[in-house]
Amino acid sequence: MANAYLSGLAAIAPELVLTGTALAALVFDLVTKGRDSRRVGYLALGGLALTSLLLIGQWGEPPRTVLGMVTVDQFGNFFKLFTCASLAAVVVFVLNDRRERRHGIGEYYFLLLGAAVGVFFMVSTNNLLLLMLGLELLSLASYSLAGFHKGDRKSAEAAMKYVVFGGLSAGIMLYGISLLYGLTGTIDLAEMASADGSGHPAGLAGQLAQNPIPVAVAVVLILAGFAYKVSLVPFHFWTPDVYEGAPTPVTTFLAVGSKAAGFGALLRFVGALFVREDVQDTVRAYGERVGLLIAILAAVTMTVGNLSALRQRSLKRMLAFSSIAHAGYVMIGVAAMSAGGFEAAMYYLAAYYFMNLGAFGFLLYFEGVTSSDDIDGLKGLGWRAPLVSIAMVVFLVSLTGLPPTVGFYGKYLLFQEGVAANLIWLVVIAGLNSVISLFYYFRVVRTLFLSKPAEREVAPQPLFVGLLAALGVATVFFALYTAPLVDWARRSMDLLWASSG
Amino acid sequence: MDSTLLTWITFIPLIGMAVIMCLPARALGTVKLVSLVATFIPLVLATVAYVGFDKTTEQMQFVANVPWISGLGVNYHVGVDGLSLPLVWLTTLLLFIGIPASFGIAKAGRAYYALLLLLEVGIVGVFVSLDYFLFYVYWEIMLLPMYFLIGIWGGPRREYAAIKFFLYTLAGSVLMLVALVALRLSSGTFSIQEMIELAQAGSLTGANLPFGGALLGMKFTTWVFWFLFVAFAIKVPVFPFHTWLPDAHVQAPTPISVILAGILLKLGGYGMLRACFPIVPDAFRTFAYVLGVLGVISIIYGAFVALGQTDFKRMVAYSSVSHMGYVLLGFAALTEWGMSGAALQMFNHGTSSAALFLIVGVIYDRAHHRDLNGFGGLSQPMPIYWGLTTVAFFAALGLPGMAGFVSEALTLVGAYDSADPRFRILVLLSVLGIVITAGFLLWAMQRVFLGTLNEKYKDLSDINLREILCLAPLLFLCVALGIFPHFLLDWMEPSVRHLVGLLGGGAG
Repeated sequence: MANAYLSGLAAIAPELVLTGTALAALVFDLVTKGRDSRRVGYLALGGLALTSLLLIGQWGEPPRTVLGMVTVDQFGNFFKLFTCASLAAVVVFVLNDRRERRHGIGEYYFLLLGAAVGVFFMVSTNNLLLLMLGLELLSLASYSLAGFHKGDRKSAEAAMKYVVFGGLSAGIMLYGISLLYGLTGTIDLAEMASADGSGHPAGLAGQLAQNPIPVAVAVVLILAGFAYKVSLVPFHFWTPDVYEGAPTPVTTFLAVGSKAAGFGALLRFVGALFVREDVQDTVRAYGERVGLLIAILAAVTMTVGNLSALRQRSLKRMLAFSSIAHAGYVMIGVAAMSAGGFEAAMYYLAAYYFMNLGAFGFLLYFEGVTSSDDIDGLKGLGWRAPLVSIAMVVFLVSLTGLPPTVGFYGKYLLFQEGVAANLIWLVVIAGLNSVISLFYYFRVVRTLFLSKPAEREVAPQPLFVGLLAALGVATVFFALYTAPLVDWARRSMDLLWASSG
Repeated sequence: MDSTLLTWITFIPLIGMAVIMCLPARALGTVKLVSLVATFIPLVLATVAYVGFDKTTEQMQFVANVPWISGLGVNYHVGVDGLSLPLVWLTTLLLFIGIPASFGIAKAGRAYYALLLLLEVGIVGVFVSLDYFLFYVYWEIMLLPMYFLIGIWGGPRREYAAIKFFLYTLAGSVLMLVALVALRLSSGTFSIQEMIELAQAGSLTGANLPFGGALLGMKFTTWVFWFLFVAFAIKVPVFPFHTWLPDAHVQAPTPISVILAGILLKLGGYGMLRACFPIVPDAFRTFAYVLGVLGVISIIYGAFVALGQTDFKRMVAYSSVSHMGYVLLGFAALTEWGMSGAALQMFNHGTSSAALFLIVGVIYDRAHHRDLNGFGGLSQPMPIYWGLTTVAFFAALGLPGMAGFVSEALTLVGAYDSADPRFRILVLLSVLGIVITAGFLLWAMQRVFLGTLNEKYKDLSDINLREILCLAPLLFLCVALGIFPHFLLDWMEPSVRHLVGLLGGGAG
């Protein structure tokens, strides 16, 4: 027993290290009285590096469930590693953002790392209760981060809106979970889906026959909770305001790390409940109907996101709406309700990390130069800061979905799985949306390069520029050499299918 | 050498681009030199390929085929046949001409030449790709440099023109992408040749897709055909998808207009032949007449609109719509003559329209406007320029002895011979286009060069040596291919015969 407990702790070593780093950051800041905030940043980077190493160390290990509820598998590690990487990028952003350094910086890192701990548990469990806990930990940290600029009205407003919407949606989701628990008698997704309905727990199959409407209500409520987390229309109202009001590094984390993690949890939820091999046939058939619902959500989300982004004058708001649109694209893979669809969604999320981290990094860089986020302020900046701006063009091309970038390849995979799942109509809508998105993405390119060179001198920031250039190279490189990401996504899927209990 | 030749032609400009990006911004002379070298070597290599090409077979030659994205079954599969090789050669020629033609552009710096070289990679890549995924990737790569070249170095309304060009083409590309996905799922391969073989065997019908691959009640082959056709028709451009063209042409700087008219429009026609018609031949046969009608509308409409223009460049731009209409008519007729004529017309339009745009550029550089009514009597200060313009105009209006005559005549005879008798009406109608074309070109010549000399322009300098050297190879081809058309036709013939056979057309 003690041995099982210890090996369980060993399995969640990355989570433990991350938690330790978070606490250390908090204490370190108290001890040094916030005098040298950069050191806290380096501490956080070190902790993230160690966590990543431990995660990589788990490569190839068979999936297992430890401590009764934490599932350690490649699928979870996919999202954990990307969370670490994106968080590291965010830390670099904070280190380079002069405006952020004014505020109580130790808590900043503590909250970011705390949010990451939430993500880690959220993407690696079949247990709905732990899922909820991880989600709440992430949310609580995010609320505080959104309101981090205490004197700033916009930041305060963002935090307030975030708390109200977040609290409401968490309540809704929890209600759905309690319904599902009450119906099926278990809190574990795998058990729920695989039970044949004759014994105890009754399982989803039995309840689908006896109580179809409560099951439908429960599934819809839980999906609504996820929809809020990944900001699908019509649960997206908080997104633009929160993204705009929050400090830019926080926005980056919310739009990239937190959203992708939400998708990780959603994929596991949908996958474990409806798609896995050991799922009952009636449940699988039900899943296809849920898929249609998701497809409709996806179509509405991408269209509303893109049409709203068209009108934005602020780069930050535009990226907020664009991230809504991209959530819509990812949902094509979820709606396909197949292993291939999930793989495509995962590849797209990986692509999403690269291009959105880059785009938000550019936003931060540009806010540092012009102290505003108005697109018009970019006029001619491309000629002043060519390296960063060319990297931005690469990110925008990738966001539009043009080759040779990861955004294109991801979109191709999603389209292919969509057509294979008989969602040609959805694929056509997504295609037309790409055309719409070109218009607003290229407004940025136009302002950067097609206007007269700006007078303003741009201070060089080598570390920052280097990071953006590296992301730009990665955006192209992983599209020309797709094998690593695709294999990784596929391997994660295989393990998800096989993992049971 | 054989299997890597096309790869070198494609990627040497990319190497040139990388070198240029590493040069300091001040070293503009070196940048120009590198660009010249990086476009000249592909031209030489393309000539080597042209000479070494085996004219007796329709098989793909200089083939290279290595796996690229193995998970998806995408290969780096390149090769040329008689349809693509002349266009590859034309591309390398026009890009090589495009470099010295750009020396006059004041703003042109490092970025300009780098983008021009990147453009060449995309265009050549499309012509040599035999893998549909690769084809699509190159097709899209081309858009970005074009957007910047029009958007940064263009005329007063360049931003509007650039984004319009981009949006139109992307809308088409997205349709192509959806069709491509469906074709991949139905055929299980990205190889264009394998798709064609499956289509010949009658098994590329989407039957293995859910609901038989139908979309909104349309059969699989039908919607795939229309999606692909519209994607390529936007590029050609076929009426009613042509409205981006006048804007892009008028705003683009001269060398870019040359490349746009000379090669980019051919991508549309080439795409139809390579990656649309033979893949869904049944749908093509069903709608061939519709395509013929669209072609004739383009011929007549383009000519009439050109007649009404007062802007020299806009007039030339609309003449492209008209001339590319013959290409579509020739395809739709489904006869060997029609197809050969259309393929030849693509090449000939590439040389003659490129020459016309260079000519417009010469006068615009001197007078700084392009209003046809604002000149007059220019034959006096600029006699050499006048002479060269006359050659180009006669080539464009299809004077016997010039290249344009051969291709138009072949196309019309081929269309008249079509198994579908309704094509005879189309041929009769399209003759109207020839008359109007002669009309607007001669009228333009009269307004610009003849009549009383406009006093403002009596001191204009004549065309200079650099400009003559840019024009000379194009005009030479216009004349030479009029007298010896078999220098192209012999290369094309086996491929054309094979293609017509694939599409189920008659000999004619």
